[in-house]
Amino acid sequence: MTLPVQRPRSFLERLFIPEILRGLYITLQHGLHNLFHQDQPTVEYPDMRRVMPDRYKGAHRLTTRPDGKVKCVACMCCAQVCPARCITIEAGEDADEPIEKYPVQFQIDMLRCIYCGYCVEACPKDAIRMDTGIYEINSFTRQDMIHDKAYMTDLMDGKKPLAEKFYRDQPDQAPAGFDGTQDRVVSVDDSRGL
Amino acid sequence: MENHWAELIVVLIKCVFSLAFVMQIVPILIWAERKVSAYIQDRRGPNRAHIMGIRAAGLVHTLVDVVKLVVKEDIIPDHVEKGFWFAAPVIAMSVALTTFTVVPWGDSLLLPISVTSLWGGTAAMEIPLQVAQINGGMLFILAIGSLGVYGVMLAGWASNNKFSLLGGLRASAQMISYELAMGLSVAAMFMLYGTARLDQIAAQQAGPIWNWGIFGVLNSPSFDPLVLIGWVVGGLAFLLFWTSVFAETNRMPFDLPEGEAELVAGYHIEYSSLRFALFFMAEYAHMIVGSAVTATLFFGGYNIPFLDGAAIRAHSDLILMVLGFGGVPVSLAFAFIAWRRSKRPFYRALAKNDIRHREPRFFISMWTMSALSALGLGVVGALGLVGGTVLGPELLAFALQTGSLFIKVLFGTFFMIWVRWTLPRFRYDQLMDLGWRAMLPTAIGTIMLAGVWVIVREAVHAV
Amino acid sequence: MPTVKINGIEVEVPAGTNMIEAAAKIGIEIPHYCYHPHLTVAGNCRMCLCDVEAGGRGPDIACNMQARDGLAIRTDTPRVKQMRKSVMEFLLKNHPLDCPICDQSGECRLQDYYMDYGQYESRLADPKVTKHKRQDIGDHLVLDAERCVACSRCVRFGDQITGTGELRLFNRTDHTEIGIFPGVRIDHDYQGNLADICPVGAITSKDFRFQKRVWYLTDTDSICTACATGCDIKVCHERNQVFRIKPRRNDAVNQSWMCDHGRMIWQDLTSLGRLLQARVEGQVGNTDAAMQTAVETLQGAEPGTVGVVLGTQASNEANWALWRLAKDALKGASVFWCQGNDPGAWDRVDDLLIDADKNPNTEGVRALTRHDASIGDGADLAHAVREGNLKTLLVLQDDVLGRLGDAADGVAVLYIGTHRNGTVDKAAVVLPAAHTVEQDATYTNRRGQVQRVRRAVHPAGDSRPAWQLLDRLGASLGKAPGASTAAIAFKKLSAQVPAFADMTYRALGTQGLPLVAPQPEAQTDQASQEHHEPAK
Repeated sequence: MTLPVQRPRSFLERLFIPEILRGLYITLQHGLHNLFHQDQPTVEYPDMRRVMPDRYKGAHRLTTRPDGKVKCVACMCCAQVCPARCITIEAGEDADEPIEKYPVQFQIDMLRCIYCGYCVEACPKDAIRMDTGIYEINSFTRQDMIHDKAYMTDLMDGKKPLAEKFYRDQPDQAPAGFDGTQDRVVSVDDSRGL
Repeated sequence: MENHWAELIVVLIKCVFSLAFVMQIVPILIWAERKVSAYIQDRRGPNRAHIMGIRAAGLVHTLVDVVKLVVKEDIIPDHVEKGFWFAAPVIAMSVALTTFTVVPWGDSLLLPISVTSLWGGTAAMEIPLQVAQINGGMLFILAIGSLGVYGVMLAGWASNNKFSLLGGLRASAQMISYELAMGLSVAAMFMLYGTARLDQIAAQQAGPIWNWGIFGVLNSPSFDPLVLIGWVVGGLAFLLFWTSVFAETNRMPFDLPEGEAELVAGYHIEYSSLRFALFFMAEYAHMIVGSAVTATLFFGGYNIPFLDGAAIRAHSDLILMVLGFGGVPVSLAFAFIAWRRSKRPFYRALAKNDIRHREPRFFISMWTMSALSALGLGVVGALGLVGGTVLGPELLAFALQTGSLFIKVLFGTFFMIWVRWTLPRFRYDQLMDLGWRAMLPTAIGTIMLAGVWVIVREAVHAV
Repeated sequence: MPTVKINGIEVEVPAGTNMIEAAAKIGIEIPHYCYHPHLTVAGNCRMCLCDVEAGGRGPDIACNMQARDGLAIRTDTPRVKQMRKSVMEFLLKNHPLDCPICDQSGECRLQDYYMDYGQYESRLADPKVTKHKRQDIGDHLVLDAERCVACSRCVRFGDQITGTGELRLFNRTDHTEIGIFPGVRIDHDYQGNLADICPVGAITSKDFRFQKRVWYLTDTDSICTACATGCDIKVCHERNQVFRIKPRRNDAVNQSWMCDHGRMIWQDLTSLGRLLQARVEGQVGNTDAAMQTAVETLQGAEPGTVGVVLGTQASNEANWALWRLAKDALKGASVFWCQGNDPGAWDRVDDLLIDADKNPNTEGVRALTRHDASIGDGADLAHAVREGNLKTLLVLQDDVLGRLGDAADGVAVLYIGTHRNGTVDKAAVVLPAAHTVEQDATYTNRRGQVQRVRRAVHPAGDSRPAWQLLDRLGASLGKAPGASTAAIAFKKLSAQVPAFADMTYRALGTQGLPLVAPQPEAQTDQASQEHHEPAK
């Protein structure tokens, strides 16, 4: 249903032409400005990338204990709280460990994940974190979009902070093109963003 | 009799030229559409595809698009009316190209030597730079242009798809409505020019800028207040014609036949691959032809203001010198801009061995070479090497006049793009309202005013 | 019957009923750890402390207060709330924060009661007392002494139910530790009950260990069909997969217990011997083709040479359907039933729950034979086969060929059953039947209690409930028994066989009903039918 709205219009406005010219002037201003200034907010993504805020979430990772085993005890709290039901954990018994339970399988279907971070909130062991800042979560197959235990443990080596911060601290390990001095964008050449 | 062969060959060459004239602008327009829209919206626009590291501000994307459209699967849905469905894109494209045949892109080219001498013809020949010199040239454009609706209508109907059909319906209603206003505004201009031949119309606008159609084809410098009537006639006719061109080409704000939001893609929803490309190109070809006709009717056609064909031929050396020496700083400025772009953070962000580092170097050297060629051109002009030759001034006049039309067409199409990214789409009732209740009466009024002006113009001339 | 007052509400209960049960009767929950309806009262958890308004003194534990006239207690006073909170604080003082890895979490009384009655701020400054974790105390059990709240339920179970007495509470005060005597291992057939009665996660099941968090599981009430006892169970399953079986309280059948063998019957669902597809002459094929072959075999058989064998392992509905099939569709077919276990059946027997008869429905078939005297027994069958009077046998889940041996050579056997046995290998046609947890049906246990099983998961493979297969077979033969659903089959059964008179699925409920007299073995306690509280 349309509701007729009565707008008081002057003759010039009803003529359209001056108003159209005004609009054209505005767009032309933008066009000309951008023609002579390359200051668009666009980040030229694969070559340059935005520095994510320190609290940006990104891909999940699994943290590890000093001995290298995952901290996760397969309590299923994350799987339970997950609103997208994307976490699949298969629990197993660890014979040697004083902490008896461990995840034989830990999979997150990133195609279903909505990045709400509830799993991180729910985890009683600080075993799952979303602090990698990795936002390039993509693949050519659906299967590869299921991140498993090994992948999520290797991500950031299990203990590294944000990639950019890490490289800023250790510039000799930074990939080619990494420029930690700019605060708006940096570029990283690595396809994985690390 | 023997000259017919020569004429045939010349006409074929002209056909190819006019085809090339239109078709070479199409990719430029596609690129411009993207880049202009990006800049208007504070984006960067296409800049990823590159050949050997040269991205040319996204021009390569257009090339890649062509490859994509050619190699894409040509899907022929089962439910379409095959014959009409195949014919529709061809009609759309050929109509757009045919109309350009009567647009002149320069005055005559006088060739002292002739290929026809091979058949024993006369030694010199005059080649009018226009494919078809038809008496009713402008009427031809109106006639053929109105056929364009068939392409859209058939596509919409033959696709057997309700969205397509709605698109086709809208297109036909809209085109028919606006053709009236277009025809009437052209009629006003006929009265001013006294002819429908586009080469004659263009020739009448040679010389000073007040000879242009938009200034009422004044034909003499005069500051009589009555001149304002001419300006009003020209301006109104231009406004009506230009608006109708927008509607005829289905451009924003009149692109209801495509209306993505409600019709998905409108009449060409079922087309893919090269068939879609034909519609795509036809739209841009329409824009080019529309701009060319507008330029010819209102903006002096191929004429350079204050510099008619005779003047070019007479002062060819001087013109060359000015162009050449003037081109040097312009080219250098572009080289400087290219150098400055190389300092952008983007290039610092690239890996050391990235192939795209070539691009600024390529453009710096290209513009430097351009500056050198301009310098050479200027030197040639300064040395007076052209004016003395037989062919030189002719070719210069041809190049400048065609270039003039080219630039006018480019500006016209740019304006269309500019408008597209400024104005929102009309509602359908608004569109019809504008066409029938605003533009049609205005067009009739313009004709009457044109009559007044024709009489007044005589009086002004007489003064 | 004395009348007691709980929170001002009067309730009349049998003499000797304790206040926990009396309160439960009017819907008031009195929290408790050590009290168990089928164990003696220990009174050591102190969680059920109530205020006594009249007829007694001071706060007292509800589990040890027996109903007597004039007794009035309150469970809703601030003092009771404070007492419960304090008891929770004591119990949880040294309790490890194992919940993420504890199998009990989700059905743990500590978790439940903390949320209901605890909710205090921890005041613990000292380190918690640590005890022995993860002790292997039996083939089916894991003991974690740290999690124990010293309720002594398991000690009492060992002492009073199995009489084995392996477990004790050792040491004193907060070093009290549940443990097993040195050199002893819990080695009886009722280990799983220890994990069930443990209100916390101290004793957990090894078989279920880390298999699933319990909150994902859905419980379906059913009964165990491993032997003729027919213990009430609940099948815990998720996404068409069974994870465990727990006993359900039915004082007429199994109190709150069940044996370890019965707990694992769900493994039969996917065991190697399971029949998942129909077979014709040993060749695996689809059910329709096998059914067509069966129909042709039965129709082609000479009149009078067809016999059907009822199955004591199959449900009442299936046996009824087969009986009707023999009477209506296969005119002149003789009906037999074989008592006793199949060759190769498991052989444990005790006087608690495990019956010598491993067939869950012997009494159901017997009830049918009492109604129809023409049904022959195993001896008749063997005789008929030896005489050569039977050329075609339609067998319902009974290892007939295993019983008869070579005598039955030359008899075309059409077999309907769940698992491979001696008969399946020689049968002309085999139709796969659904397992008990895959179908709705009823079974009649050794005491004549008719109880329902309910479908927990979909039938595996091509298998279908036996009554459904028989109904389709009957339809193909010209007259179906009319068992379009299990409930309809049972309704017709109860209409035709007096022993099942007036029974419906609704009437059977969760606890079942005894067969209608005359039946000598029916000695069930009618009063206990009112108990519907599931076993904890």
